Amino acid sequence: MTLLVTIVLFGIYSAALLAIGSVGFSMQFGVTNVLNLAYGSILTSCIFVEYWITGHSSNVWLAMLVGALAGAVISFVIGHLVIGAFLNRGASGFSIAMVTIGIALMIEFTLEAIQGPYINTFSANVSSAITISGVSLGGEQLAAIGIAAAAMVAVHMLLRLTKLGLAMRATADDVALTRSCGISPTRTRAVAWLLSGALCGICGVLLGLDEGTFSSSTGDAIFVTIAAAAVVGGIGKPYGAMIGALLVGLVSEGSAAVISPSYKSIAAWVLLIAVLMVRPQGIFAEYASRRELVA
Amino acid sequence: MSGTIYYISGLAILFGINLIAVWGLDLQFGMTGINSFAFIVFQSAGAYATALLALKPPSSYGSFETYIGGANLPFPLPLIGGAVAGGLIAVPIGLVAVRRLRGDYEAMALLVVSLIATGLVNAQTNWLNGPSGIALVPQPFGGPTVPPQTYHWIFLGITAVCCVIAWWVMRGIARAPLGRLLRAARDSESAASALGRSPHRLRMTALIVGGALAGLSGGLLVEYVTAWSPASWLYQETFLFFTALVVGGRGNLAGAALGVLIVPIGIAEATRRLPSFGYPGLIDSLDFVAIGALMLAFLWFRPNGLLAERKRIIRPRDGSDPASDPAPLGLAARLGLRRAGSR
Repeated sequence: MTLLVTIVLFGIYSAALLAIGSVGFSMQFGVTNVLNLAYGSILTSCIFVEYWITGHSSNVWLAMLVGALAGAVISFVIGHLVIGAFLNRGASGFSIAMVTIGIALMIEFTLEAIQGPYINTFSANVSSAITISGVSLGGEQLAAIGIAAAAMVAVHMLLRLTKLGLAMRATADDVALTRSCGISPTRTRAVAWLLSGALCGICGVLLGLDEGTFSSSTGDAIFVTIAAAAVVGGIGKPYGAMIGALLVGLVSEGSAAVISPSYKSIAAWVLLIAVLMVRPQGIFAEYASRRELVA
Repeated sequence: MSGTIYYISGLAILFGINLIAVWGLDLQFGMTGINSFAFIVFQSAGAYATALLALKPPSSYGSFETYIGGANLPFPLPLIGGAVAGGLIAVPIGLVAVRRLRGDYEAMALLVVSLIATGLVNAQTNWLNGPSGIALVPQPFGGPTVPPQTYHWIFLGITAVCCVIAWWVMRGIARAPLGRLLRAARDSESAASALGRSPHRLRMTALIVGGALAGLSGGLLVEYVTAWSPASWLYQETFLFFTALVVGGRGNLAGAALGVLIVPIGIAEATRRLPSFGYPGLIDSLDFVAIGALMLAFLWFRPNGLLAERKRIIRPRDGSDPASDPAPLGLAARLGLRRAGSR
């Protein structure tokens, strides 16, 4: 019983953190059609910026604000300015993937060069807030779940209730048709990069505060788990990413509890491969995307 | 002076080892167009296989490391085993990623395969000694009696022989009908299928042969450095090879060689000779920053690399160049007609 409660509680908690990141990743991929392999390094740099600016204060709200701003700026520069310039030159899809990897390497190893091969530590204070049949969640963890839920509601309202959200969904579906309706895809894409960066920053800061420690390679492994959640739910579909995050969170916490903690990420990645093999458009997609997906 | 010769012969060995790997990647990515983001796994499979075949069982070293096997085979059997392992591991990887997925999805799936492989080796400490890795791999013809410089010459000879074999394989494939088919599968999968060739089978072939070359390179590397651990094959290393191909030029053997000279040797290895500054490992970090910047610069200014793949033109029997003529005139030329003033 305790085992099951542990899996479910921590699964929901991991899912909450993952959902923030994977909704951002999925939305950006859907709108811009760029596989952003630098997402993990954007996440890492947000943790670093937050640590440098407010590393010793324990105010979660301030940390999130700094992280979100940093993420939005970095993501805009990388995505809209650099990758946008490469796209304007007519770079192929493969070149764009390599560009994002080149950027990822530069960011990750610049951070490593600045910080040294050390592991940085936040001064975290762990408190126990609620206990359900012997398993306790801390106040920060409850706050993180609340923040994630609020972020999901905000994304939902943006996509469904605003003109901007409508434009983003339209751009993701059909760029040519959107343009002929008088909506600028360039502007919509810029907004997508900004938003996805902000979500990435919030996700990174919450993860950094949760783990308590981070290094220049923190984003790598988390990025793949975020991508797993996005792909499981159907990449380019923010709602799928939310459910995907829940599945990935439960599977990884389940395998951590049942097999061994070192299998936590591996289980999520194997789930990603399995979904890609069986149903590459994602579990929850109602129709296969027109993108070049399968031969 | 002798130190310089020792250093340069060492660089020559590493050049040969990296060259074999980059040729393998060129076969998979340059010629066949597979986004082989799990490439380092092939090299690593070869390295581990060679190590396990060359080592004695763990108990004979006092069991300070744990691994499966320890066959203690004589040279060159461990190297052959490494190449076979690199080819064999291409089969499951190909079934996972290369059969159905394309483009971004293929790239992402292979990147994840690479991370899963590292994760598994780290988690299962009893298979390949986990994060600490395998050490004390015996060197062929080596031993305490052989002076280091002499051994460098011996190993350079072994590497050179392996390079010649790899060159022979690559050149054979590039010239054979198989090479044309691989390029056809890269340039237009539907055209290859329309000619009755299975693109799946072609891509799988390229993956296996390229994997075997990578495995051979990994085997040589582990016999040269005598140790191998998950830190030796992080996913970033794959992009070292990709940068070499992007810089040198994909789809031709000389381009790959030029790329290896510039990226893994010029940036990653030669900078170890610099006077050290900062903390240990700072130069390695800066190397990767430089590699990322070089990749971006080449994709911006010279996306085809320094030596671009030459256009392959099938000439008509009379030696005229169909590329300079529009198609109907090419046909006319074949019929013996000449446009006025054209030649």
